[in-house]
Amino acid sequence: MSLTPGLHHFLVVSALLFSLGLLGVLARRNLLVIYMGLELMLNAANLALVAFSRFNANLNGQVMVFFIITVAAAEVAVGLALIVALYRKRQSAHVEDLTSLKL
Amino acid sequence: MPALTDLLFYGFAGLALLFGFLCVANPLSRNPVTSAMFLVLTICSLAGLFVLLNAFFLAAVQVLVYAGAVMVLFLFVIMLLDLKEEERRKLNKVALGAGTVAVAVIAGILIRAVTSAKPAADKLVEGTTKPLGRILFTEYLLPFEILSLLLLVAMVGVILLSKKELK
Amino acid sequence: MTNGDYYQLLKLLAPEWTVVGTVLAILFADLQFWRNRSVAWRSAGAASILSLGFAAAAGLLIWKRAVTADLLGGTLVLSPTSQYVKLALLGLAIVTAWLCTEGEFTKHVGEFVALIALATAGMMFLVSTENLLMVFVALELVSLSLYVMTAFNKRSPRSAEAALKYFLFGGMAAAFTLFGFSFLYGLTGSIHLPTIAAKISWHAGDPLTLVAIVLVVAGFGFKIAAVPFHLWAPDAYEGAPAPAAAFIASGSKVASFFVLGKLLSVGLPGVGGSGAWKAFSPGWLAVVAILATASMIFGNLAALAQSSLRRLLAYSAIAHAGYALLAIIGGSQPALLYYAITYAVTSVGIFGVVAVVENRTGNEDIAGLAGLRERSFLLSVALSVFVLSLAGVPPLAGFFGKFYAFAAAAKLGSSLGYWWLVALALGASCVSLFYYLQVLKQVWVAPVPEGQGKVAGGWVVSILLALLALAVLVTGAAPELLIRFLK
Repeated sequence: MSLTPGLHHFLVVSALLFSLGLLGVLARRNLLVIYMGLELMLNAANLALVAFSRFNANLNGQVMVFFIITVAAAEVAVGLALIVALYRKRQSAHVEDLTSLKL
Repeated sequence: MPALTDLLFYGFAGLALLFGFLCVANPLSRNPVTSAMFLVLTICSLAGLFVLLNAFFLAAVQVLVYAGAVMVLFLFVIMLLDLKEEERRKLNKVALGAGTVAVAVIAGILIRAVTSAKPAADKLVEGTTKPLGRILFTEYLLPFEILSLLLLVAMVGVILLSKKELK
Repeated sequence: MTNGDYYQLLKLLAPEWTVVGTVLAILFADLQFWRNRSVAWRSAGAASILSLGFAAAAGLLIWKRAVTADLLGGTLVLSPTSQYVKLALLGLAIVTAWLCTEGEFTKHVGEFVALIALATAGMMFLVSTENLLMVFVALELVSLSLYVMTAFNKRSPRSAEAALKYFLFGGMAAAFTLFGFSFLYGLTGSIHLPTIAAKISWHAGDPLTLVAIVLVVAGFGFKIAAVPFHLWAPDAYEGAPAPAAAFIASGSKVASFFVLGKLLSVGLPGVGGSGAWKAFSPGWLAVVAILATASMIFGNLAALAQSSLRRLLAYSAIAHAGYALLAIIGGSQPALLYYAITYAVTSVGIFGVVAVVENRTGNEDIAGLAGLRERSFLLSVALSVFVLSLAGVPPLAGFFGKFYAFAAAAKLGSSLGYWWLVALALGASCVSLFYYLQVLKQVWVAPVPEGQGKVAGGWVVSILLALLALAVLVTGAAPELLIRFLK
């Protein structure tokens, strides 16, 4: 790998970011932080798409990112509403407290 | 003598990964507010990378929608729920170790895979408003319209879910 | 794109717009006119509007059934098959909407029925596209509606928990799918499935292609609840209101299987590899074969241990996802669609019976069905037909579906390559007989519990359940009736 940033450099950043997000989802216990991990994973996909868009020389990837950002915003709203609804019932936002359903 | 853009890449990429790490695995704080703040910084660094990739419009959207709207929503919910710092519960060390190893393996596989990618063209496209808008309202008109249904679902759903059930 | 193209788009999508118009009509009527009515009245009213609107949409579909179109970079691809699948989706949605009249799980029943219609619109878009972007957007429309529907029972804390679990797993699935999509785009420079197919075969065997395939299949594995991505299913089935669970088990399955089959056969035909015995080579056939094996084994074994009827159905759904994957491996679209549609009809029927019984008795266990023969003959017969169909007993639809799917897989490859998978599926089906018969034993043999009266659903639901049972019987006895539409 040369030092001048090319496609590979961006993709490696994206892969690392995806893994960090996955780590957050698997290791953290607070629902909100788990959800932030998911956002990191989505952002990693966005970065990969923009990088591919730049190096494939067409705009499809960027359009896709535009849609992902919009969908993610709607999804965040629904997800946070779910967390609020659950908190009203349980007074907790921890995964371990989701006990009444078996994993 | 490396060019300025090269330095900027390493700067933004390093910051994005550092802040991303601090967001999910901050060794000093378990407070969700701290995580949220680091997520904002990660997203802003990514916007910097988008600019380096000529995706100017997306960089702006990323900051406006993600760092602006989405993160405000996160912070709002954290404040609403008045979450205390995540208690230092007994961590299952074995599970944590296994998880970390699994993620490290996945990261290794992903990196091995992405470094085999080949750039297809060296032509430059600029992700400015005009070409993006044109493609959005011609080729991708249908998904664009469907997004409005998606927002309707989110609107109806969020109002119903977060409303208190009146007795 | 000219104005004429926009007009054509409007015309081709008339059924979809009718569905969206139905959504608005339901929301408006519920908000404007029915605020002071009882919940039972409003749910029946909303279900009626939905039935009328969907009947109109179905009429439009039948009228224009011979349509073929490929517009806007593959975002809209219509074929007679896709139109018939949409018809099936509309029918499933109508039954689901009427299930809302059984049991009061929410006061906001108008919004719930509207969400059913919105999810249906998403599924209709999902089955008529060959573009990754459109697949993603339509899939998210379906998923978001289903998450919200799952959480709708605000009196039960289990509902919100189930929805959250479903949501977190679904979000992860979306992230996986997208990362996979981004690799496919990177490899080929396109998000149009036939273009991807034309370009990707050159890259077969390189790690990026393989990782992309694994990520995409994993993401869809969540949707169809294949092991090891099934963890949300038992909880979602158990905690969701009955109509939501019915729709997750039926409409969402049909659409997801259709689009997964299309993605793999239209988008990635050149990189299948092989899952044949002693001839494993990397590719999606191998990945799907592994998922199918795990789902069939784990789903059936876990179902044996269940005492809750809904959890049993969830694990049975996991096992059935494994069987349906065999049809994908076999590369036979009619087999896959026949299997998915008859399975969906059966599940929506079972959830109908479950909704009626739970509503009247409040008991969610298999034991709650004890002596159902005396308490409602219609429900007993209907439930028996559905359960036997799931078990794969001839001449019901489940038998022929399995036969068709297994035969498709068995025919593939030279020298009996996939017989190991088919043998496994047959063995798993035999194991499954055991827990299905447990359910029937409660219905027909177990003594009627003391102090339990008759059980009866509303007349519309009763008629619909009888029709569904009849459909399972007829399509099983004369499969050609359904299959000729799916070719």
